[in-house]
Amino acid sequence: MRYDVTLDRIDARELEAVVLHPGAGAICTFSGIVRDNSRGLAVTHLDYEAYAEMAVPQMRKIGEEIKQRWPEARVAMAHRTGHLEIGEVSVVVSVSCPHRAEAFEACRWGIDRLKESVPIWKKEHAADGTYWIEGEEAKPV
Amino acid sequence: MAEAIAVRVRFFARLRELAGTDSGALHVPPSSNVEDVYEALRRQYAALPPVESVRAALNQEFVEWGAEVSAGDEVAFIPPVSGGR
Repeated sequence: MRYDVTLDRIDARELEAVVLHPGAGAICTFSGIVRDNSRGLAVTHLDYEAYAEMAVPQMRKIGEEIKQRWPEARVAMAHRTGHLEIGEVSVVVSVSCPHRAEAFEACRWGIDRLKESVPIWKKEHAADGTYWIEGEEAKPV
Repeated sequence: MAEAIAVRVRFFARLRELAGTDSGALHVPPSSNVEDVYEALRRQYAALPPVESVRAALNQEFVEWGAEVSAGDEVAFIPPVSGGR
């Protein structure tokens, strides 16, 4: 298990190495990537801000929830903060399980929970200005 | 009259920008809850939005607005998290 909030580039392969073990027949890894458009507008870059002292424990809690639902799962998560360019990896969730069906399910569940309960915010620098993204809403700075 | 208790407050993301600071100290009456803390802060930082669009965390755990604070607690006020689909 590994849970990180980091200013450094995230290497998905490193997280996969953490969850890899001889009983794992499947690893499912989700990588979130900075996209060049949002709400129909060009995006130039993003800034992520975290409440790190809370974000890491929240990630650990999600990992424990995954273990309760899929007892054989192993989990690693990392979220980047700071300035990110288009095409960079912002978040990775990697889950290993004995078989692929539960690896897909657990990984999907993990990233969805992360998006709703881990205190990390995205500031979007778009063609027409800068916005804080709050759930479905974009609020101008 | 019981003595006021000191809590540490923290703001993140848009709330940090609206408050113009990322943290502070506040004295509140004993038995105050998280909402009392936020309302006191709104008097101090007028740009902070109403409680409806904010979530609160007490000592790094999400809590309801009625949660009571104790001396030395860290109370964080945070906007909805980043979203995406």
